[in-house]
Amino acid sequence: MTVPNQTSGSWRRILGTLALAVLLEQLPWSGWALALRPDFVLVAVLFWVLHQPARIGFGVAFFLGLLADFQDGAVFGQHAIAYVIGVYLLLYLRLRLLQFDPYRQAAQLFPLLLTVQLTVLLVGWLAVNPPAGLGVLLPVFSSVVLWYLIALFVRLWHGKGLQDRS
Amino acid sequence: MATQGQLMFARRLGPTARLLIWLLIGVVCVVFDARYQALEGMRSAFSLLLQPVRELMRAPTDVAAELGGFFTRHRLLQKERDVLLAERSRLLVGVNAAQELARENAELRTLLQLQTRPGQQVVHAALLYQGHDWFAQRITLDAGGGSGLRNGLPVVDAVGLMGQVSRVYPGSSEVTLISNLEQLTPVFVERTGQRGLVAGSGYGRLELRYMPAQTDVRPGDRLLTSGIDRVYPAGIPVARISRVSRSQSGPYLRVECQPLAGLERSRAVLVLVAEPQVNTR
Repeated sequence: MTVPNQTSGSWRRILGTLALAVLLEQLPWSGWALALRPDFVLVAVLFWVLHQPARIGFGVAFFLGLLADFQDGAVFGQHAIAYVIGVYLLLYLRLRLLQFDPYRQAAQLFPLLLTVQLTVLLVGWLAVNPPAGLGVLLPVFSSVVLWYLIALFVRLWHGKGLQDRS
Repeated sequence: MATQGQLMFARRLGPTARLLIWLLIGVVCVVFDARYQALEGMRSAFSLLLQPVRELMRAPTDVAAELGGFFTRHRLLQKERDVLLAERSRLLVGVNAAQELARENAELRTLLQLQTRPGQQVVHAALLYQGHDWFAQRITLDAGGGSGLRNGLPVVDAVGLMGQVSRVYPGSSEVTLISNLEQLTPVFVERTGQRGLVAGSGYGRLELRYMPAQTDVRPGDRLLTSGIDRVYPAGIPVARISRVSRSQSGPYLRVECQPLAGLERSRAVLVLVAEPQVNTR
């Protein structure tokens, strides 16, 4: 695919590629092909967010995420949340990505796509069978409190000198 | 990054703020769907929207299969025909015996005034789409409410039990496979008659639960539905035991099973439609 510059992405082309991605996902994939199937819709959305951020953004990604949720029979919101996070990360990396050649772009997208997939996993896990309720998150809060206490203790013990010396 | 014609200062929300808004909407979606099942209408809408597309996109693979079948070698067909003829004659003998047994069975049942077994009427359906999710082992069929399907009906393929209809749309339906984590199937061991529960353990694997350590189960035993739940008719093959191991911590055996039905392969399935049973008690 040729990389269009800022002006050549017309609505027709954007919607065409997104529709094509949705169509490709509708093929009756099975077996190894299903396991290896790339997430066409996510790739298409991220591509257009990279090149046309004014037109394709969070809303489209969220809607297509809901569509992906329907297709997999998953809980609504599972893919939607992950896609929105993917869009955010891409917007964060956007200026850097635009200067890279395709090889480096792909390398940069790897952690991003990994994050999206892990988010799908995490949201599904929390929504469908949370192992011990949301109580598993309690250590986060207690750890924050512990951090505060330790920092406070060290500050009081050493006084302000700790910062001055460093 | 202010180019010409663009304002220097942003009038829109920043990406972080928009991310948080959409995340909030997403969490609301998850909660409403998982806790209150409030979004089934949206599912139906998506189903209406996507069903023709799915039918359309199934065409290329169907054509490919047709072409592949057309070019099958003549020799292969002859061999297959011979095998089938032999099997047919063998099966005919079995059918005669089965008819005899069925008549005898019917007489005995009328004698005992029992209800006939549910699941006599079948609806043919084809696999339309296979989901790709870790938590929802589901497939979509091309038959729905229009063909008389309801929630909870058992789905089988030629070999064994596939799962249960869990969502019905006008022209399609979703089947929860027996390998789904939340799916329980009451079974009995064919060899010994021992009853038990088969639970899905995700990705096409099953587990026979709550078998006390001294139970007589061996690898290779077949598990059939026991029919206790009044959902599945009794005697449908479900799985074959592949590994039995003693767990160090619990009082139960760890029994792993392989489903007999081609959960990930079967393209043509049957839905067993039973008459709704009226309990007169």
